[in-house]
Amino acid sequence: MACMDVREKLNILSAAAKYDVSCSSSGSGRQAPKGGLGSACSAGICHTWSSDGRCISLLKVLMSNACKYDCAYCINRRSNDIPRATFTPKELINLTLEFYRRNYIEGLFLSSAVVGSPDRTMEMLVQVARELRTVHKFGGYIHLKAIPGASRELLYQAGLYADRSSVNIEIPTDRALQYLAPEKNHASILAPMNFLAERKLEYHGECSRYTPKFLPAGQSTQMIVGAAGETDLQILTLSNGFYKQQQMKRVYFSGYVPLNADKRLPALTTKPPLAREHRLYQADWLMRFYKFGYDEVVDPAHPNLDLELDPKAAWALRHPEFFPIDIQTADYEMLLRVPGIGVKSAQLIASGRRFSKIRLEQLKKMGVVLKRAQYFIYHPDTPASLRRLYPEMVRPLLLPKPKSLQLDLFADQPLALPVAS
Amino acid sequence: MLSISYDSTFDGFLSVIFEIYRQHLDAGEIRPDRSTAPCNLFMQPFRVETSEESAQRLKRAIVNQASAEILDLLRVVLCSEEDGVEMKILAYLRKVFDGNDPHYAKNPTSDEMLPLYMIARAVRREEGGMLGMLRFDRTADGTYFAEIEPKYNILGMMVPHFRGRFANERWAIYDSKRGFGVYYNGQDPSQGPVEITIPDLQQVKAAAPKDDFVKLWQDYYQSIAIKERENPRLLRSCLPVRYWKHLPERQIAPSWS
Repeated sequence: MACMDVREKLNILSAAAKYDVSCSSSGSGRQAPKGGLGSACSAGICHTWSSDGRCISLLKVLMSNACKYDCAYCINRRSNDIPRATFTPKELINLTLEFYRRNYIEGLFLSSAVVGSPDRTMEMLVQVARELRTVHKFGGYIHLKAIPGASRELLYQAGLYADRSSVNIEIPTDRALQYLAPEKNHASILAPMNFLAERKLEYHGECSRYTPKFLPAGQSTQMIVGAAGETDLQILTLSNGFYKQQQMKRVYFSGYVPLNADKRLPALTTKPPLAREHRLYQADWLMRFYKFGYDEVVDPAHPNLDLELDPKAAWALRHPEFFPIDIQTADYEMLLRVPGIGVKSAQLIASGRRFSKIRLEQLKKMGVVLKRAQYFIYHPDTPASLRRLYPEMVRPLLLPKPKSLQLDLFADQPLALPVAS
Repeated sequence: MLSISYDSTFDGFLSVIFEIYRQHLDAGEIRPDRSTAPCNLFMQPFRVETSEESAQRLKRAIVNQASAEILDLLRVVLCSEEDGVEMKILAYLRKVFDGNDPHYAKNPTSDEMLPLYMIARAVRREEGGMLGMLRFDRTADGTYFAEIEPKYNILGMMVPHFRGRFANERWAIYDSKRGFGVYYNGQDPSQGPVEITIPDLQQVKAAAPKDDFVKLWQDYYQSIAIKERENPRLLRSCLPVRYWKHLPERQIAPSWS
């Protein structure tokens, strides 16, 4: 263990951190400190994408994976027989700065398994962030995990050095969390979140040019989807609460990838629920950028998102009374709700229509997906008889076409042709 | 009809527009010097030399008649280096200056503006992406050197970002597709980045020493991916294959495939 080199540690501790979804570097704009290295760009910058298609913008590692907890869903749980490693602050700082100079990363995402006590773990994370900021004058992005159970003093210091902080709620219902992770419960996770949110509010109140910034990029959290039988309604209700009460910047969803054989969890052969995760992100987008309420995307009558159809189209088809709309006169909020029209096209339409009528070919040039939008809008040439939306007719037209079946002429099995229905 | 040539710079292009108005030229096409397209035999060649004064006057006029944002947008559009984009800008400016519609310049969806707007969006998108996808190699003397081959001519737009971020480092970025680059000497902040050309790029690259951090980065890239979620199509749509050439992490195949 003592002679383990940095390369080995990096391999172990980045593989151990990969199930944390967040990798964003947005929300914080900062110029490089005088004589220092690095800046932060408020839109965030992606540096590369891994082969699973996820953006990589930060060096995402654990300080240590030698955890004292035994959460059923986690790869680093105490009862797993895996190699354990711990970075020294110096190794990690050096790695961060050298990667940063080569423009590989925007900064550091530092998390950790709980080693010894929550306070000791949090102290290690804060030490790395403090040295980066004060000794090396590092101006890049820092995301620190807040460890539940750590003292308020340490959390407060983390907020002074980090751009963003996060605590993962992991399992959307408290009962399921206590069942799967005996050492955790929702109250212990919400405590550091609330503390940091309140501190940030205090700072915001007395904001001047000289006030040091406190968590300028706010907080985020993450939920595992598909490990404990929760509905999309429960998930989105909870994330709506986070956005409203804790002023969260992002709530991430992580489709459960079976890692541990455990009778409390889905079997190891279960495929991760990627389609469902994708739909949840689309719903989350609707809440954050398209002015949808969480109770519009899902409701008690439809507690789960439609896996075949995106939530925006699904909402539109559930509400034919609003459509089709006249793009010349409809509210901006209504334009945003048309499937196939995005935020940028909606803005273009809203500012362009003051000067002249918007024609279909212009919509096409703006990047509106007419294939989808055509059923939800009308224009001067549309005959009055077509100015109605028939959901049952439109729905099949919006579904992706089934993949054409290629016949395998050399198969041993007799051909199984699809039967026309 | 004239085929007007200029030196490919923004100021040069503005000088062309200025001369078109001043001399009532009948422009058939506007050719940047870098253009390799065959000359149009039915047009008479005409040369406009860059004049900073006329460019300044036209800039002021555009800011007055339209806005500073529009001027900036036109600069970005010209960086796209797309064939015929100069005539599209000319058509737009004619409408702005003819004064028939006082609100014309505010309309982003007019027939002349919308295509320019979409081009600018594409150029800015590539510039934003390249800020992340650019990779510096550490050379023997401690200078950080990056080679890029972007679709659009975005190097000039990228420089302020790196100047702010690596104010105390020595670095150079080289656009090998267009054969020019910039060098920044971190020691003396009063001196801005300077333009450079490198006659023998291969030699510079061969002289770079082996760098352990490249290997560490490749390792990190491999171990951060989740095998069960592999998605090559998504990867290619986020990170188009044409950029892979200069990304060390894409030089090795994933271990599980």
